[in-house]
Formats: sequence, structure tokens, C-alpha cells
Amino acid sequence: MILLLQLAWRNIWRNKMRSIVVIASIAVGLFAGIAVLSLYKGMMTNRIRTVIDSEIGHLQIHARHFTQEKEIEMMIPNGDFLLSEVEKFPLVRSAAPRLIALGMLSTTSGSAGVQINGVEAEKEQQVSHLNEKIVSGNYFTEKKNEILIGKKLADKLKIHVGSKIVLTFTDTANNLVSGAFKIRGIYQTFNAPLDEANVYVKKETLSGLLGLQHCIHEIAIILQSDEAVENTLLPLQQQYPSLDVADWRALSPETNLLVRTVDDYSYVIIIIILFALAFGITNTMLMAVLERRREMGMLMALGTSRIRISGLILMETILLTLAGTPVGLFLGWMGVRYFHRTGLDFSSSGEELMASFGFSTRLYPEFPNEKLLPVLLIVCVTALLSAIIPLIKTLTLKPAEALRM
Amino acid sequence: MNQTVIDTHHISKTFNPDTIPVYAIQQVHLHIERGEFTALVGPSGSGKTTLLNMIGGLDKPDEGNIIINGTDITKLRASALIAFRLHHIGFVFQSYNLIPVLTAKENVELIMLLQGKRKKERDETAARLFEQIGMAEKMDSRPARLSGGQQQRVAVARALASHPEFILADEPTANLDSKSTANLLDMMEQLNREANMTFLFSTHDQRVIERARRVITLVDGKIASDTAFVNPDNG
Repeated sequence: MILLLQLAWRNIWRNKMRSIVVIASIAVGLFAGIAVLSLYKGMMTNRIRTVIDSEIGHLQIHARHFTQEKEIEMMIPNGDFLLSEVEKFPLVRSAAPRLIALGMLSTTSGSAGVQINGVEAEKEQQVSHLNEKIVSGNYFTEKKNEILIGKKLADKLKIHVGSKIVLTFTDTANNLVSGAFKIRGIYQTFNAPLDEANVYVKKETLSGLLGLQHCIHEIAIILQSDEAVENTLLPLQQQYPSLDVADWRALSPETNLLVRTVDDYSYVIIIIILFALAFGITNTMLMAVLERRREMGMLMALGTSRIRISGLILMETILLTLAGTPVGLFLGWMGVRYFHRTGLDFSSSGEELMASFGFSTRLYPEFPNEKLLPVLLIVCVTALLSAIIPLIKTLTLKPAEALRM
Repeated sequence: MNQTVIDTHHISKTFNPDTIPVYAIQQVHLHIERGEFTALVGPSGSGKTTLLNMIGGLDKPDEGNIIINGTDITKLRASALIAFRLHHIGFVFQSYNLIPVLTAKENVELIMLLQGKRKKERDETAARLFEQIGMAEKMDSRPARLSGGQQQRVAVARALASHPEFILADEPTANLDSKSTANLLDMMEQLNREANMTFLFSTHDQRVIERARRVITLVDGKIASDTAFVNPDNG
């Protein structure tokens, strides 16, 4: 076996240049594949981070059907008490209550439909880090009737810090309620549609306008780690069966779908790259078989079975393919390591365009450790597929004819 | 008592039977006894290589049977025939056909490896064979670093490594100079004499014919003459 392995390895190096070209192409192909996978992973991590850190949090609690209907009377019963209970959960890092109303934001020059989020300034910044996203003006102060609006909305309505706006919405008795607010700050996240649709006011201000005290529509929760979701979701659901307790995947199914689609798509890219490389490998191995027909005829004459000779060709194909694999993986790892530190700037693609899809313009590729095994499996399958035509040639060789060549 | 090693019964082989038939071998009946040193001669296209291929189980006759040491190889299935070749027949080719990426020793070892022999036995046999062919110091050389004569000696050692019943040598001296030819034939004669190894050559080479103790002449696929010489020096 060792001698056959040695023979296979040495056979690869009979034509050094040809083998080096194939090995290099496999390495470059794999590097490209790893680069794409890493970029996708970085993009998805970026998107998930935005969803968790800026939009939803790890978990949210609502009254039943609130997320679908958003009716103002669908409040969490004993919301303040529940909030204090949730904050005591072992894996919960912070939780923030929100009072939510759908309404209209009007200025002298225009209006827009918005979701009005009444938040507790201190708690909100621990959950959604809203204070860190202020690009103009400031976060909430002690003053009354302050509002934070998204940059996209501010640009659309041509309003700025200090501008006065009016929010109009209905209260629980279906009465139209209006309140005048002054823009305290303009925030910007990586999700432009979100920035356009959400405004933030202080919870006590909104409570006052709605005539509701100690009411909560939503509790957003940040856990100690992303992995803690699985261990927290079920206990919360079991403890509060009358409420909707959901994780970010359920609350943002489009993100979950995007992550899974990109995950599947990244395999398709790797398969396409390696499929293209398979033609090069096949060509090389076919040349190797055709050049060595006489030698194979000799081996058959001496008593080597076709299966054994095919095994040798298969071994050579796999070795040739695998020889390029560590090089490609190493190059990929090095490249990803470098760009993970520095990040890749996609601002030339358009900040607005990236933000409209919920992505930052600076992406940090991540090495797809979890995909290494499947990628190696795809590489092995590529080697096997590449060996098919050379194997057919080998299996149909007739020793007497091969010896005459 | 003599023992028949090769026995062909009226074998025939026709190439391109459906287009322009070439009657390569016609009704050849041949017996080779153990320990013979036989040359198969004849002009180009007379069927020497075809006959040798059929005796070696590389090709099948259209008619007739080939009995090797009591086994009718024409009735063997492909896999059984391969195993039979591995254990019973040694081949030496005109262009040596050593594997260039293996050393001389590894070339010899390969056939024993295919036979499933253990490393210790492979090493001992290889050492003995290289001693026998006078190339003990060249065991670790690659074929490219050996002369034609040396490569052919290694090819003989490779053929002997499987302990075959006989060795088929197709034009073994065609690519060798006189000195190398003489050395190779000396070595083969010695093996024939001392180990009673049976050799069947196909050759044009007068130097081989002169050493053979039996010369079979093929013309147009038929045995035209079959002459045995009494003493090893061709009488």
C-alpha cells in the first residue's frame, strides 16, 4: 500500500509543470471559494449583529398577536413586574420596555407614517445602543417632548435637529391624539428602511399622551451571549405561556431566511468553482493515463488487476487534488485573518444601497470554520468526479494493445 | 522426467475478421518442456508477438487451447487470468518497461507486493535477485540512471521475482549493444542452467538464436520449422 501510495505520489511529479499548474489552480479556486464564504459569513454576522444589537435584541416578549396586529390595547399585563422578573433571569444581560404606537409624523413640509417607540432612555441604550447611533444632535436629555428620528426619514422630510414635528396617533379609546415634539437627535443604523419607519420618544411622554401608566407593549432582551438564546427562550415560553416570547429568528424571519439562503448559496459557489476545476484535473489525469498506456499495459501483463491500476489512478487524482487543498485553505485563512482585522470597505458600492439591505459598508470577513468539513468533502467529490473519465480509459485498456503503443 | 510447461493445441488468431482478415496464427501446436531455452523466430508479421501474447494470457486465441502447467488458460475468466499471470508467468519486454519513478529495487518489489508478500520476504528476494544479476550496488538507482543492459537485467529480475513457471521475453535484446546482449544472455543461460528456469524468446537477433537450444520458426502464423539442438552451445 505504501509503495503504491509512493508510486501515485511520484507519478504526479513526472510532469512537474503540469501538476503545479493544476495544484495552483485548485489552491486559487479554493482560496476564491473561501474568500466568498468568509465574506458571506462576515455579511451575515454583520446583519445578525444589526438585528440583535440595533433592531430586535435576542428575544422579545409581547402580548399575543401584537406583532401581527400592533393594536395599542394589546399590552403586556403587569408589564413592569414582568420586566423586573425577566431581568432576574440568569442569562439576561439587559431588558428594555417599549410602548408602541403607529401614527403619523407631520412637519410643515410633509408627513410620513411611522412606528412611535416609547422607550426608557437608560434601558434602551443598553439594549439597542441607540445613543451610539446618533449622527447629529444628542440622545435623550431631561427635557420633555424630545424625539429621535432616523437619518433616512430626516433626509426625506428635510428636517434636522431642532425642527419641530407633530405626532398623531390613536389612543386605546380610538381618539385621535397629537403631540408636538422637537428633534433632539438623528440616528442612523445599518438598516435604512428601519431608520425611515421608526422614531423614538421617551416612554413617559408617550404614556402621558395615551393616558396609560405603567403599560408596556414590548420587552426587548439582550442575553449574555448569542448561544444563550436556546437556553432562555424555552424557559421563558414555559413560564409565560399566555404571552408571545420569540427570538430574533422568529421576529425577523426575513433575516433568518437570508442567512439560510446565503448559507446554501455559498455551497453552490464552492461547487461551481470546484466543478470548473474538475475539468482541469480531468484533463491532466487523462493526459497522464494516455501517456502511460504502455506502462499500464506492462502492469496488467505482470498481473496487476484493472481495479488496482484504477485505484492507482484514483489515488493520483485524489493526491493531486488534495495537494492544492492545504495551500488554498492556508491562503484563504491568511487573507481572511488580515481582512478580518482591517475590514473591507464597500462604501464605493454606495452606503445607501448597502444600508437599504441592512448591511454596513465595512464588512469583516470571517473564516468559515463550520464549513471546512463540507468543503473538504466537496473537494474529495471533485477529485472522484475528475477521475471518472481517466478511470474509464484505464478500465478499457487491453494489455496486448497497450504494450504495442 | 520432463514436464510440459507450455502446451498449445491448434491455436488460431485472426485480426479484423469482419473487414480485411489477418491470419496472425494458424493452427499452431506447440509443447515447451520445463528448462527449455527456446527462441521463436521469423520475419516481421509472422505472428511471434501474437503467439507470445497468447501464451502469456494477454490475448485469447479464436480457436484452440493453451495449457500452462496443467491449467487451460483460455478457459480462465479475466480476473483469474490476471492472477494466473501474476503467479505463473514472467515477462521481459523489448523496451524494458521499468516504472521510471520507482528505483530498481522498488520495480522488482512491486510484483511481490502485488502477490501479497511481506516486506521481509520482498527485501530478501530483491537482495538475492540483484546479487544474481550482478547489480547489488544499483538497487536504489532509478531506471534513468541505468544503461539499457542494466535496465533489461532489472526487468529479468522483476520477472523472476514472482517465481514464475517460465519467462516470456519479447525481443529482449533488440535495444541492446553487443556487450550488453552477451551479458544478458549469459545471465539468462545461467538462470536456465542453475535454476532450471524456462525461457521462451521471440527474437530476430542472431546472437540470441545462436544461444537457443531450440529454435521455432514461424512464417505467416504457422510453424515452418522446429529444431532442437543437443548441447547448450548449439552443437
